[in-house]
Amino acid sequence: MSKIKSRALSPEELNRFGEELDALRARTLATLGQSDADYIRRIVAGVRWLGLGGRVMLMAGAILGGTVLPVLLWPLCILGTVLLGLSKILENMELGHNVMHGQYDWMGDPALQGRTYEWDIVGTSDAWRKTHNYSHHTWTNVRGMDDDIGYGLLRIFPEQRWKPFYLFQPLVAVVFALLFEWGVALQDLRIGRWFAGKMTGGALWKMAKPVVRKIRRQVLKDYVLFPLLAGPFFLPVLLGNIVANVIRNIWTYVIIFCGHFTADAEVFPKDSVRNETRGHWYLRQLRGSSNLTGGRLMDLWSGNLSHQIEHHFYPDIPANRYAAMAVEVREICARYGQNYNAGSLSKQFGSVVWRILRHAFPSKPGRARPLMAAN
Amino acid sequence: METAIRQPTWLSRLNALWAPPAVLDFWLSRLNPLWSSTRTLARVVERRPEAEGVTTLVLQPNRLFRGFRAGQHVNVGVEIDGVRYTRSYSASDMPRADGRIRITVKAVEGGKLGAYLQAIPVGSVLSLGQAFGELSVPDGSAPCLMLAAGSGITPMLSLVNAQAAAGFPQPVRLAYWARTRADLVQAAALRALASRHPNFSVHFVLTGEAAEAGDELEGRIDPRHLATLLPGGEQVHVLACGPHGFVERAREVLGGHDLSFQAEAFSPPPRFVDPSDQGRVRVTLLQSGRTLEVARDKSLLEALEEQGVKPRHGCRMGICNTCSCGKTSGATRALADRSVQHEPTQALRLCIHAAQSDLALEL
Repeated sequence: MSKIKSRALSPEELNRFGEELDALRARTLATLGQSDADYIRRIVAGVRWLGLGGRVMLMAGAILGGTVLPVLLWPLCILGTVLLGLSKILENMELGHNVMHGQYDWMGDPALQGRTYEWDIVGTSDAWRKTHNYSHHTWTNVRGMDDDIGYGLLRIFPEQRWKPFYLFQPLVAVVFALLFEWGVALQDLRIGRWFAGKMTGGALWKMAKPVVRKIRRQVLKDYVLFPLLAGPFFLPVLLGNIVANVIRNIWTYVIIFCGHFTADAEVFPKDSVRNETRGHWYLRQLRGSSNLTGGRLMDLWSGNLSHQIEHHFYPDIPANRYAAMAVEVREICARYGQNYNAGSLSKQFGSVVWRILRHAFPSKPGRARPLMAAN
Repeated sequence: METAIRQPTWLSRLNALWAPPAVLDFWLSRLNPLWSSTRTLARVVERRPEAEGVTTLVLQPNRLFRGFRAGQHVNVGVEIDGVRYTRSYSASDMPRADGRIRITVKAVEGGKLGAYLQAIPVGSVLSLGQAFGELSVPDGSAPCLMLAAGSGITPMLSLVNAQAAAGFPQPVRLAYWARTRADLVQAAALRALASRHPNFSVHFVLTGEAAEAGDELEGRIDPRHLATLLPGGEQVHVLACGPHGFVERAREVLGGHDLSFQAEAFSPPPRFVDPSDQGRVRVTLLQSGRTLEVARDKSLLEALEEQGVKPRHGCRMGICNTCSCGKTSGATRALADRSVQHEPTQALRLCIHAAQSDLALEL
């Protein structure tokens, strides 16, 4: 935050910046085809096989370990839990999140349609499409419009008004990480408004109904049906499912927090988006987002949110294209004197942790830096 | 319609918890590419050339296919370079005991699917919709006159074969328009049927060659043809299938001779779409049952809002996908690069596309 890494652009520069990024978009869209379809189907297969492997191992560990081969209990159950967690991570991030953005709508495959895909997590896809695809992606890091800034629980930026509650946020942040999927599930309900008396119980219940239905489904599946399959040996299966979901929660939390809450990420006041041009929108996405280095493995397991910048520029372009697009995006940003915020997971998440700790206490924002230079 | 709709039972609900349809279908398709719990699919079991650029395919549907009646058509979907294309094709034979369905496909200029199906490998799996269409031979003893032009022959083949199987209980006369002899499909089989059954006659009408054989005529559909097809000037049930112009002309020519007139016309090919962005087009909203006229020079979202329709929407700049809805027919233009999309889609973003031709939207 301390030193200025990006310069303000003139309106003409902003326009050209936007045009160059639009041209990259058009060039990429024109080449979508079989390899992209094959890629997302390989991801689907990966999710299914990892899930099957995980569940079979857990079941085998619980039953064999509980009967004839106690020595297998821990190794099989740990392996099964990890595989199940990986399956859920891959499903939520590289498959669900990207498909729900409509990235693969062009294929016309009914199983991969953004508007109807339902993911394996307690939050409903419909709520996600609203809070994430619309609010977060359109108004990224705009205070009062993007609910993802601290998720209404955390003070990440000094621009957020300090309250004594935030003194507890180092602890709140840890609990939030463990229960992240529940936070996502409840985000759109704005239960706080009900507590504050701004919403009637009836209105809340109407909004909550589909959420409750989805929660019931997920709980029945992971915590009742699959454990019951193991009969008297249900306990390891139940614990395995809980741990797999928590592994996924922590990992998605870490990746998502690295996307917009790193040291160099900026927040913007509401009036910055009045009559916003395409170029200004791109620039705001760039300044509010941050990438993770780490190569193809990081790309895969972060659902390509390692290319958060490219994802925010092009949320509807298949994520498997981001790595190639990033080469040009980085070059364009350099030419316009803009910081391309990328770093290793440890560096980026370290800076997120620092923000959570630092802004638990009162802090003052630095001087606001406009994106656009006065003409 | 791809989805077989069934009343959910507690058992199916339980099954959906273990394995939601997407998961179940993944594993079913690993066991057998034709198996699915939700999608009607079909395997190509036979392929043979029929005429110049015309191929007949025999399809083995999976168990979700509910069968068809002679004269009906099905939507056939194939993935080409990652993109699914769907076209409707008439069954070109009557229903068979083995449940298979035969379609006859013409390679149309600029049509991806028709060209692809000419060479589709036997064993490939296609998506198949449930059969639809009302074309049928009316009951009773009155004669039936079938008028087919080009690919319009396919439903007639299906109906003629069904009538043949019943021993032609009523007179059936078929007139089949094509450009040249080489374009004719199943001409020998039709002639053989006509020679065996006094109640069935066939005439081939050529528009690009001179008539030679006794059952050949020439020229576009015209009152002169009636003298041969209806020598007694009698009243007949008319079934017509072909391009729009053909069907409309047939209606005029047959006026006064028809007891009933059933027609099926192909949708006009995309090349007739007006390329400008002036004027207005008709948009049919399938879910609300409304039809309205909207401007072509602005995004569909704005154009619909102008007409008092309020589609759900979000960012208004093409990124959030909130306004995307299905388009079953018609052409749209991307506002960014003016590229035109003719294919039906399940996800058309209203905020960054304008109407190019008349449209049907799932709104």
